[in-house]
Amino acid sequence: MLSTNPKGPRGAGLIACALLALILFPGKASPQAPPGATGRAKTFGDTYAGSDTCQTCHEDLFNNLRKSAHSVVDTDARLGWKDHACESCHGPGAEHAGSADATKILNPAKLTAERTDKICLTCHLNTVKQSDRVNSSHMKDTVSCVACHTVHANGPAGLVARTAPQINTLCTSCHLDVKAQFAKPFRHKVPENEMTCVDCHNPHGSARQTMLQTFASNEPGCFKCHGDKRGPFTFEHAPVKYEGCGSCHEPHGSVNARMLNRNEVRFTCLECHSNLPSVGAAASKVGNSVAGTVPPAFHDLRLPRYQNCTVCHQKVHGSYADRFFLR
Amino acid sequence: MKPILVFLAVLPLAAQIPPPAAPAPAAAAPAATPEPAAASPAPSSENWVTGYIEVGYRGLTGVGGSYSTYRSVVDLGSGLKLNDTDFTILDPKHRLFDRIRVRADHWGDDPWSSLHIFVEKRELYKFLVDVRRLSYFNDLTSYADPNLTRGTGLDQQSFDTRRYVGSYRLELLNNHRVSPYLEYEHDSSTGSGVTVFQTSADEFAVPDTTTDSTDLYRVGTHISGQRFHVTLEAGGTVFKSSQNTYTYTSQAGNPGNNPVPVFGQTLDLTSLLDAYGIRGTSLFTKGTFTATPFRWLDVYGNFMYSEPKSTVNYLQYDSGNLFLESQILFYNSEQYLVASDAKLPHTSGNVGIEVRPLKRIRLLESWSTDRLHGSGSASQNDTLNSGSPSSSTVIADLLEAALTSNYSQAESTVMVDATRNLTLRGGYRYVWGNASDLVLPVQGLPGVINENLRRNVGFIAATYRMGSKLSLTAEFEKGSSSGAYFRTSLYNYTKVRGIARYQLLKTLRASADYNVLSNNNPNDGSPYLFFSHQETLGLDWTPKGDKLSFDGSYSHCSFHSEIDYLNPGTLTPLLSDYREDCHSISGYLNTSIHAPGKEGKDHPVQLSAGGAAVLTSGSNPTTYYQPTARLSMPLTKHVGIFAEWRYYGLGESFYGYDSFRAHLIAGGLRYTR
Repeated sequence: MLSTNPKGPRGAGLIACALLALILFPGKASPQAPPGATGRAKTFGDTYAGSDTCQTCHEDLFNNLRKSAHSVVDTDARLGWKDHACESCHGPGAEHAGSADATKILNPAKLTAERTDKICLTCHLNTVKQSDRVNSSHMKDTVSCVACHTVHANGPAGLVARTAPQINTLCTSCHLDVKAQFAKPFRHKVPENEMTCVDCHNPHGSARQTMLQTFASNEPGCFKCHGDKRGPFTFEHAPVKYEGCGSCHEPHGSVNARMLNRNEVRFTCLECHSNLPSVGAAASKVGNSVAGTVPPAFHDLRLPRYQNCTVCHQKVHGSYADRFFLR
Repeated sequence: MKPILVFLAVLPLAAQIPPPAAPAPAAAAPAATPEPAAASPAPSSENWVTGYIEVGYRGLTGVGGSYSTYRSVVDLGSGLKLNDTDFTILDPKHRLFDRIRVRADHWGDDPWSSLHIFVEKRELYKFLVDVRRLSYFNDLTSYADPNLTRGTGLDQQSFDTRRYVGSYRLELLNNHRVSPYLEYEHDSSTGSGVTVFQTSADEFAVPDTTTDSTDLYRVGTHISGQRFHVTLEAGGTVFKSSQNTYTYTSQAGNPGNNPVPVFGQTLDLTSLLDAYGIRGTSLFTKGTFTATPFRWLDVYGNFMYSEPKSTVNYLQYDSGNLFLESQILFYNSEQYLVASDAKLPHTSGNVGIEVRPLKRIRLLESWSTDRLHGSGSASQNDTLNSGSPSSSTVIADLLEAALTSNYSQAESTVMVDATRNLTLRGGYRYVWGNASDLVLPVQGLPGVINENLRRNVGFIAATYRMGSKLSLTAEFEKGSSSGAYFRTSLYNYTKVRGIARYQLLKTLRASADYNVLSNNNPNDGSPYLFFSHQETLGLDWTPKGDKLSFDGSYSHCSFHSEIDYLNPGTLTPLLSDYREDCHSISGYLNTSIHAPGKEGKDHPVQLSAGGAAVLTSGSNPTTYYQPTARLSMPLTKHVGIFAEWRYYGLGESFYGYDSFRAHLIAGGLRYTR
């Protein structure tokens, strides 16, 4: 068993205890409050108008709301906003209703992303979807909830894209570079809408890098479809476990067969299995060696027989029976 | 699938069951459950089913060039198809369900098919089904075929498999304080192909079959309170595989890839039986929490643990004229048995906080770790016969393998809303870890490999937004390492990223992306140099709303990597130099022509045309064209027809045998309700 790095942050136990205490004694608690509830026994004074008043002028939005999942805010008293769903996001609306002045009402579409998110997260923060929010690059780039979710959406599709074409169009409207990579011939079937971006990535954040989905709690989401590559193998190929599939493959698309990062598989292999000294420049600093540099055999690469490494080393993702991945 | 189909067939009937003649009011509205009728998502005047179904026939007009590559890359075929369907069933009385949504596409011997079902009764349950069926064909002519001189062109690693992936999830008591859920996932594959039987002096292409399946079960519950949320989950997987079970018998003998006689003898393989029996299990647990103890503090955390295990029995019987190099031994038959097992305990966790000490400042702190401690052992017994039982040679080995990886990361980020429109972000990330890999006894490999990972990363970013009109994001990240696992790993690197969105006109939006990655890994005397950049420009133009729209993009990318290696046979230094310069362009024009009147407005004639093209130069010059056009036209209020054309054309300069072109024409009916 290898020890962890002694230079890592210390005091994690104290922080954990402090956080636990904060969670266990959070202050006010409403035993009847469902998820997302504010817990307030809210009384609506003169400043509030009520959803029916909003409906008078905004009937289309009101009707859309009643068909969406957010209609529960208007109907479920436990959420604290019964008959005031519109004002749960837009704030008190009596003044706006009286004057028809657009400046007298809060319009989340015109707020900063952080303030808009704050409105959404009033109800949605403490949910399983947000458990990796702190690792979400969307959050860090201040991509607001409403960039993807349409709050006034109509129809059974709900508040966000649900079909594969809708999801992929939504994601690639910002990730243009990824859209271009998917135009290459060897790719996952995203342009065909047989896969979606969220099959592999969790847009709300993930414990894994690049917001990758997970399989069976903490394994890479790739194994959901590629179960035969999961193992555990008796003889693991280290890069698969250390750096993941992206060590050798370009999952968004490649001009190279099998989505490889090089045009011939031997180059993918030989760049690590270089037969050059295993001790790299890093050795001078932390006593490091670099893995996999010495090949176990002395093949003559001028012969076609040895140019395609995976013909013989066929179990390159890991082998149950052979240390050299031959069977 | 059958239970799902029966379920689907029954549910619409249930939706149509008339209400009881004289229901007792008390029975109609249980006291404990709020009556959801007021929240009805479907006024009773609406159709109980809405949606569409599209069926048709697609024809492949013939593939020019390599049919195998066409199948490996595209694989669309001819035949009758359920192209697409998407419908929703509503029960205005909210008895068994509130709504069911079904989506399915590409059924009918297409290479990829999917089915999604969503059933919901608000406050009571959600049931989700996601089924994918994939054909995975891969048969690409090898650039290095040792048998080409014999007149054969064979990819010695090819396969034709069908994969089925299904998940079934039931969530109970949504929006309640305690909300349990159950899930079952199934992933299986079966198919055949060509693989290689390997001996020490020759290798032989042989047919094989593969099957594998993974069943995953999970159960968990969400517990939500006023200021916190906890999810607890446990589950397990069962994995079975009989991969690479193949038999082969040949009177003539398979000459293999080695044409050179060994000590004057030509090697061949006359029969083979080779079978894996693989069984695996794993248990996993997961705990997730979020909390808001104070208005200025959010806390996040995850703990995950899994422990997959596998046990394997491998047997191999082969005969022919074969040679074992390590013993300088010719043999006529071999029995090779392996019994192995492995386990890979895997622990992951992370904790993060978001602190808002001031109105305009947010502090993000996160720490995460991912730890693998794998071990395996294999008992091998190899019996070689050289003609008579008395001439048997037995080689027995007991191998032990271990692999560990301890990865940790700590990150601190400060976000400042400098102005109403400008957010600045900066921070520091420290990544550290260690890993080891060994197989004992050492045989031709280095002994224990210990690697260390140390990386310091600093980053700054700015986001400027002006309403929905303008958005600019720029990020700069610089990493410096003093240890990495591989020669090609990130070491001393720079990342630059820029994203811009600008609403030029009410009907025209422009977007631009810019990405750069430069990495320098200073291996001893053989640095790894990697540089890539990509520039993308996109336009969305909607001059007439849904009547006319265009979206297009152009992207240019460039990759260049260089690293030395020694030819292991001659020990001569060589350079692996990979270059790729690519241009990709895509554009789609959509038009809707509305006939006069409401009918015409609701059912327009629609024409879409466009496509994508990629042109690359460098190490693998490639062109790939994918134009498409589709016309749909209403016949009646509910019925329409459609016609579609697609073209796929792949051209490769260095590997021209992989080039292909194909036209696909489809047509059919669409029923909308």
